[in-house]
Amino acid sequence: MSHSTVPRSSAEATTPVKARVASGGATGSRAKKVPDRLSLRLRFRRDRLLILMTVPAVVLLLVFNYLPILGNVVAFQDYDPYVSDNGVVAILHSPWVGLENFQQIFADSAFWNAVRNTLVLFFVQLVLYFPIPILLALLINSVVRPRVRALSQAILYLPHFFSWVLVIAVFQQLFGGAGLLSQLLRQHGFDGLNIMTDPSTFKFLVTAQSVWKDAGWGIIVFLAALASVPPDLYEAAAMDGAGRWRRMWHVTLPALRPVIALLLVLRVGDALTVGFEQILLQRDAVGPGAGEVLDTFVWWNGVRNQDFSYAAAAGLVKGVVSIGLVLAANKVAHLMGEQGVYKK
Amino acid sequence: MTPNAASPASGSSGPSRRRFLASTAVATAAVAGGMPLLAACGGSESGSGGGTTSGRNARKVLPAHVASDVVTPDIPSKNGSSMGFTGKLDVDTLKTSVPTKLGKGGKVTVMSPFWGSPPKQNCAYYTAANAMIGVDVQWQNQDGNTYDQKLGAVLASSDIPDVVVIPSWNMTAKIPSAIIGKFADLGPYLSGDKVKDYPNLAAIPTDAWQRSIFGGKLMGLPMPASYVQNIVPLYRQDIFDKQGYQVPKSADEFLSLAKEITNARAKRWACGDMKWTAFNTFGVISGGEKSLGWTMVDGRMTHRMETPEYLEALEWTRKLFAAGCVHPDFELGKSQATDPSPKFAAGEFLIWNNDISNWYGQQAIQATQNPGFKIWGMDIWGHDGGNPVLWAANPAGIFAFINKKASASVIHDVLSVANVTAAPYGTKEWMMTNYGVEGTDYTLKNGVPVKTDKGNNEVANAYVMIASPAATIAHPDFPDYTKAMVEWQQRMGAFTRKSSFWGLQVVEPNRYTNLTNDMEQLEDDIVRGHKKISDMQQYISDWKRKGGDRLRDWYKKLLDDNGSAAS
Repeated sequence: MSHSTVPRSSAEATTPVKARVASGGATGSRAKKVPDRLSLRLRFRRDRLLILMTVPAVVLLLVFNYLPILGNVVAFQDYDPYVSDNGVVAILHSPWVGLENFQQIFADSAFWNAVRNTLVLFFVQLVLYFPIPILLALLINSVVRPRVRALSQAILYLPHFFSWVLVIAVFQQLFGGAGLLSQLLRQHGFDGLNIMTDPSTFKFLVTAQSVWKDAGWGIIVFLAALASVPPDLYEAAAMDGAGRWRRMWHVTLPALRPVIALLLVLRVGDALTVGFEQILLQRDAVGPGAGEVLDTFVWWNGVRNQDFSYAAAAGLVKGVVSIGLVLAANKVAHLMGEQGVYKK
Repeated sequence: MTPNAASPASGSSGPSRRRFLASTAVATAAVAGGMPLLAACGGSESGSGGGTTSGRNARKVLPAHVASDVVTPDIPSKNGSSMGFTGKLDVDTLKTSVPTKLGKGGKVTVMSPFWGSPPKQNCAYYTAANAMIGVDVQWQNQDGNTYDQKLGAVLASSDIPDVVVIPSWNMTAKIPSAIIGKFADLGPYLSGDKVKDYPNLAAIPTDAWQRSIFGGKLMGLPMPASYVQNIVPLYRQDIFDKQGYQVPKSADEFLSLAKEITNARAKRWACGDMKWTAFNTFGVISGGEKSLGWTMVDGRMTHRMETPEYLEALEWTRKLFAAGCVHPDFELGKSQATDPSPKFAAGEFLIWNNDISNWYGQQAIQATQNPGFKIWGMDIWGHDGGNPVLWAANPAGIFAFINKKASASVIHDVLSVANVTAAPYGTKEWMMTNYGVEGTDYTLKNGVPVKTDKGNNEVANAYVMIASPAATIAHPDFPDYTKAMVEWQQRMGAFTRKSSFWGLQVVEPNRYTNLTNDMEQLEDDIVRGHKKISDMQQYISDWKRKGGDRLRDWYKKLLDDNGSAAS
């Protein structure tokens, strides 16, 4: 969301909802139509403090995200990183091979395997992970006592701060074949678990781990959206005879709709990124057949096998497809009436 | 196409092998028809051509050899074993092999693999060792199990430490060409008689120095090793005795023993991942290093993957896993987040494939807390009950390289460090390098140095990786273990053959370096049941087409040009 809409969104959200509470619809915020725009200089003067505050982040973005994009040229070369210490010199000295890396990528069954795993994981996470923060937010929101509320919130998002290395080690010791749960099962005559090494349930394992670790963190955004709903809306609806579920359907969910739409667009645009560290740490436990996703494919070929050209080609394909996805998802959001990632 | 083009090196029943392969060969044909064929491995033919240095060219760069005469071993080397020292070590009358401190007090940064949790830089061991050498060595210890993941990136950067230790099993993909391009030529400092400035380096066997020649130049400081391969099936002899288990003598006996031992409900499994023992027992050509995997079999240059025993070894290991005899933590493969040692000590699994140094190492760690703990090593049995066919490891497998951009004084300092760490057994320097500081890392019990817990954790890897003396096994606190380990090597050495490129440091051409990137991963997948043997057969035929056959011709030519050092 651009900064210029933030101060207006809460004010905007109430007006249309107030008018349309019975019909259950809500529109995204629309900028007030200003007859003529201020000149660029004046706008710059007005907003200069805000712009100054964004400069460090922008510089970081430029240096670590935009500048390295130029390095993707190695996808069209046969890059040898050891020709020189200096990356630029190494690029200049590596031979040009055009689209050959891409041809090899598209003929590589390991690549398509990684794509398939990525998409499968994305859809599983979309269905099983994406709704959870919303539900949790609604749940937390309904808790009245502030202390219970604060405590549950803290417990929910604390796992976000653990590192994946720790989380997976704990999962292995609890749910692994020799773990606590398996021992308990065996003592009572059942077979032990093997969910940590079973390729067929890997996608559910990964999703379950993500839910445990990160779902709590995701509720913060939704709670903020829910907090911006004025309580008199609920009172008005209750007085009109709306029960708890109808109040949720007509007041709460419409308040969440812009946030959900935005996050959905972002998630779809990010569809090909389904986690890296978490998957990398468990890739060998289930084998790359089930455990390889695009990011680990790039890592395996690039970092581990120093075949940087091949890996860069795969990364570039992923990047181009992701841009397409973001644009498409954004278009859909606009069609639905939400503002999406950026305004038209 | 079936991979058994070469007849097996070990003599054993043919029909059973053919029956086994016939069933999977059908699957191969079916798979070959359906899978999308990889585009021919194109890419430019430019890049380094690779090769090796031997004979007269090698003699030009090799250092002179001046044997050390400090102490004579109690058990001399035989059949390629290490030397053994079992006599009492009198700590008070240790000689010194470095009469004048050669270090000039400079700082040297070293990146090295470490198995375990590395100690802090200011621990007593590092401080005392640095003081003895006269150089400030700063250690950047990295996890040894995932060292290959870091190595490529570090070497590609412009910030390489002064010294980088690289084991030969991490010289995958383009690392060898990185070594040639990024590290210093030590010839001007060590070739010929120049090595006599560093007497302990002059005492390192010439075989080990031969292995340090990369791109025609002397580049690495070697860690000499016995050429007997290093993986021992360690087992809990105390539990075996108590339960009446017999050490198996054939692959089938092992399988039935494993099933007998395993009782998952009682939290006991038979073994860990036995893949490397399987390769040994079935006589598979060595997989420790790329060049060791090629040898002449019946007049044809053959790769280990192409031999029938390779697939049989994988199948046997797969059966072990499938029967549930393997401790479940090992199914996690490289994703295993915790160290298996405590579980081995607790008796959760009884047989553990491990490096021979752990025969002593694990015993030393457990001896203090668990006096009944007795770890011993099985002799490797032939899969059919007969004598095993073992393939030799190289005379040196771990090397320390010095950054090309290091100044002459840094190089001199590193060589001073190496001179101390390569001191032979019986010297003060050896004692410091291997046992650390008296009182902190070891205590004297009746004059015998015994490592403390701190010593066991902290005095490991690090300094010995920079350079070491001729292969030595010496543990004054466990002389019976020393004897057992050396004699194990001597017995196994009698069955050990050398492959065609044994003893040479071979660098493959760049265009072939990525061919077997996925081989080990596929092996691990197959033994765990994630993939099938037929997938490996498909992989082998793809490998042949994508460059394996051309690589075969390249190796044949290399052999014709250089001859073989294998006797």
